[in-house]
Amino acid sequence: MGSSAKKKKEKKKDFQKPKYKVGKAAPKASNFTDTSFKSRAIVMNQQSLSTAAPDAVQQFKHNLSLASSSRNDKQRRDALAYLTSQLSSQPPVNPVGTNNILLKVLPLISDSSTPVRSQLLKLLRALPKDQAKHSVREAITFIRAGMTHLSADISSDSLGVMEWLLDVAEDELVAIPGGWFKTLKTFCIIMGWSLSSSAAGWTSAPGSGLRAKDAQVLARQISILTRFIRVGLKPPTPVPWSPQDYWDNLYRIPRDPHAFEYLNLYGERRDEESEMYASPESRQGVLARKFMEPITKGIDKAKKEGGAVGRAVAGLDQVLTDGMRDYNGSDSQLMTDQWLLDLW
Amino acid sequence: MVKRKVAALEKIDADFASLQYKIRRDPKSYKDDFMKQWGQYEAQREIFFMSPTTVAADSVESFHNMIDLIAHVADCYPEETRTFPDDLKAIVSENHETLHPELREKVVGSLVLLRRKEVIDSAALLTTLFPILVSSRSKSMRAMLFQKILNDLRNANSKSTNHPLNRTIQAVLYNLVTADRSSPRAIWAIKLTRELWKRQIWTDAKPVDIMKEACLADNEKVIVGGVRFFLGGDKEREELEDESSDEEIDLAKVRHQITINKKSKKQNQAYKKAVDKVKRQEKKKSKPHPLNFSALHLLHDPQDFAEQLFTKHLQGTKNKLSLDTKLLILQLVTRLVGLHKLTIVPLYSWFIKYLTPKQQSVTSILASLAQGVHNLVPPDALEPLIQKIANEFVSEASASEVAAVGLNAIREVCSRQSLAMTETLLQDLVQYRKSKDKGVMMAAKGLLSLYREVGAEMLKRRDRGKDATMGISHGTMKQRKFGEEEVGGIEGLDLLAKWKEEQRERKLAEKGDDASGDEKDPDADGFNSDEWEVGSEDSSDSGEWINVEHSSDEDEPAPKKRKGDGKDDEEDKENAQEAAAELERMTKLATTTILTPADLAKLQELRAASSVQKAMGSKFRKQQNKQNQNQDGHVDDGLTAENIEAPIRLRKLTKEEKVALAKEGKPDREEHKSTTAIRKSKKEAAGKSTSNKEKQRKKNFLMTLGKAKSKQKRSLVETKKVLRGHVERSTRGGRRRNGT
Repeated sequence: MGSSAKKKKEKKKDFQKPKYKVGKAAPKASNFTDTSFKSRAIVMNQQSLSTAAPDAVQQFKHNLSLASSSRNDKQRRDALAYLTSQLSSQPPVNPVGTNNILLKVLPLISDSSTPVRSQLLKLLRALPKDQAKHSVREAITFIRAGMTHLSADISSDSLGVMEWLLDVAEDELVAIPGGWFKTLKTFCIIMGWSLSSSAAGWTSAPGSGLRAKDAQVLARQISILTRFIRVGLKPPTPVPWSPQDYWDNLYRIPRDPHAFEYLNLYGERRDEESEMYASPESRQGVLARKFMEPITKGIDKAKKEGGAVGRAVAGLDQVLTDGMRDYNGSDSQLMTDQWLLDLW
Repeated sequence: MVKRKVAALEKIDADFASLQYKIRRDPKSYKDDFMKQWGQYEAQREIFFMSPTTVAADSVESFHNMIDLIAHVADCYPEETRTFPDDLKAIVSENHETLHPELREKVVGSLVLLRRKEVIDSAALLTTLFPILVSSRSKSMRAMLFQKILNDLRNANSKSTNHPLNRTIQAVLYNLVTADRSSPRAIWAIKLTRELWKRQIWTDAKPVDIMKEACLADNEKVIVGGVRFFLGGDKEREELEDESSDEEIDLAKVRHQITINKKSKKQNQAYKKAVDKVKRQEKKKSKPHPLNFSALHLLHDPQDFAEQLFTKHLQGTKNKLSLDTKLLILQLVTRLVGLHKLTIVPLYSWFIKYLTPKQQSVTSILASLAQGVHNLVPPDALEPLIQKIANEFVSEASASEVAAVGLNAIREVCSRQSLAMTETLLQDLVQYRKSKDKGVMMAAKGLLSLYREVGAEMLKRRDRGKDATMGISHGTMKQRKFGEEEVGGIEGLDLLAKWKEEQRERKLAEKGDDASGDEKDPDADGFNSDEWEVGSEDSSDSGEWINVEHSSDEDEPAPKKRKGDGKDDEEDKENAQEAAAELERMTKLATTTILTPADLAKLQELRAASSVQKAMGSKFRKQQNKQNQNQDGHVDDGLTAENIEAPIRLRKLTKEEKVALAKEGKPDREEHKSTTAIRKSKKEAAGKSTSNKEKQRKKNFLMTLGKAKSKQKRSLVETKKVLRGHVERSTRGGRRRNGT
């Protein structure tokens, strides 16, 4: 059966793998077509030959748009680096204004690439503090989105941005609509301190047996929460009286951002979550009513962990006891607030 | 080392699919993870609402993902996601114009998903989606919404009719149609209603009411939609029903395949499904056929409707409708008039100006005219019309097609109201039967044969024909007066009576041969023979049907007839008259007895047989029958322009028609192969295997060699064993033992 063996061999040939050898090009496939070509000159159809390079403003805008919308993460990072260098040069170059920059780059908090996020933080730190505080509302929204992100890296990196925001505009942060309630809620969620007490008698698995890295993240979260609560509960610093104040109040337009926010002229009706809590007393009330229970529970649990977490929690506990010392449950002003909200 | 317990989501980064899967499997343990995602969703929503129009593609995508995830697990955490459906509704109904298309689609899809999980109810879903459907400017969005709404309505009505929901939606649609009569938005109401009507989900009067209002709208598109529904909606419904009953599953085939192929769970399930389906189909078959009235019959107050349609869209000179639309409306109006026998007198005078050969699509107008005539239309109103048609169309000078069309139209009108014709005109028109052109000749002959039946006195004596002349002289044939109605009867009852008579005679004859004196036979007096098992006295167990004793006057004819048979037939005329009287008496069958189901079955059979006989008769008869069929098609079916135009046979055929005619009745063969080869390939295509013989024949020669060689070397004992085994196997029925 010679012919049969031959046929077999032929058939086998079709399924043999090509043998690769070190230092040699891979064997060409049988149906390989050579598409290379030689040419003496390359002709470009459209070529702009302008002698003037794009000016600095144009370049800045271009980089800003690259940073916010480029698909390539390296490009995004480089654009951010360029913007940072421009902003940190003396005197800083900023043709579009801090607010516009922030609006463009804030979505990058949830960016999937780590270098971009770290570069973003550098950029944010380079922005002038007094101007950045006008965009607190947008910033805190994006930060909350970043903190609850499914990816652990993004959520821990957004803590850094939170720190920056606390540095820049801590007083505004706790007083804007939704700034206090929603942010506290976000903290509770990411630390797994459940708000709803429906799961009575059930222990949740995660939280016990933390890895070292997780413990670090938790400690950082707790410390930032501590700072946030401290800001929220600190008594307002009395403004030194000046004779001008009276007339200013009557005739001058207020200079602080969202001065008439509390009137809520254009927004939709606010519920408890997105209400603004302007005074420390009202913030105390919200904290006591909604968050005290899960936080104390969480504190108890974390204290048992010890280590970095335990230390951070001790700070939080201290801040809470200090802040809530002058709080008595039946605050008349709070009660009216709540009553009004219930009416809606 | 103890394996460390891995917390949820520690390993996988940003994988929504696996998170969703885990949450769905164990909602309690993954609550924290869900809450985090819920927080993320809320943050994303806030970002989105900061500027819904100018959101970056990234945040659109992440928002899209969040909505997807939460919609899928919403039923696991009803308490936490309480606000979710309302959020989605708000997003899509406020921002659907500006939303990113994919996000928009996802939101709608999630709402439907929530409906399927029964988080929200149908009414909430539909009342959200329908306003968007009506107002959206995106075509793809509308198509999707329409599909979703339709599907939801179908699902809601799949198990049993969901009356409250249907009523709500019908009210919404009705309001949409009536609220603004000039807006084209009502087209969606029409589309939806028509689709649901087609699928027999809505079969009552309310959708018909919606369509009625649509017909009376001011927007042309809406009008056309409504009118088309009345003209074609029912036919569409029937076609769909026919289609759906076509697909049948061959259970035996499925079972057989299971024995051959590898057994798997999937296959088992497929089999179970097939069995289920077959059972369901059978159940459906045994169910009584749902009584579906056509839309035209469900109309409330058709007289008012037809009048409104006519005055609003046709009569006035102000309306700007195109001719096609007008024709459609005219069709509907005349159909209503013909079907319900309405009286709209101005309608007939309106036709006058359109009855010229130069009028565009005049055949359709003529068909509408004929359709709008019934026996209660005053002949005075029709006379000028017929005169005009005759003057304009039927003359020596006009083309033969035109003349044929005119004659056909006159025939159709006169077949419905024969009094509209004058004697002189009829005699003139009948002359055309001598025409050289076949179409004209046939049309004229049709008119002639019509009047031989309905008004022979108007014809000249020599044109009347044998039957009519005889009828006139006997006085049995008279022209009906205006408003006179025919006495009703059951078609084919005389056939049944005749058959019964014959049957009894045959039996009597048999009995007479067997035992002439046996008068007391139970079958002798009743015509309920044993083969029908019903009604005879001895079958008392079939007590469902009451046997009615036959009155004496029915028994009489038999002896009479026998007497006639026995006598010499000397007086033919008397005999014939007697027979006629007899027949008359027998048609009283229906009034004096109750017909059993067996009788009805026989009646059906006899009717079919007689119609076959008619069809098999002479050429002349056949032609007449065909014309009759044309005339008495179902009352619900309207008259079309084709009926008015010359028959297709007279036209020159196009090439495609010729090819189709030539191919008719021949098997399809793409390539020139032998018949066996074609058969074989067919068998292969049907998935059938080869026979054992064929397998043997195809087997590789080398494989058979070894066996052949060993066969030669067998000892006698071995041969004996083999042969015995063969015999035994054949008695058992093969190796696999047939039947076990």
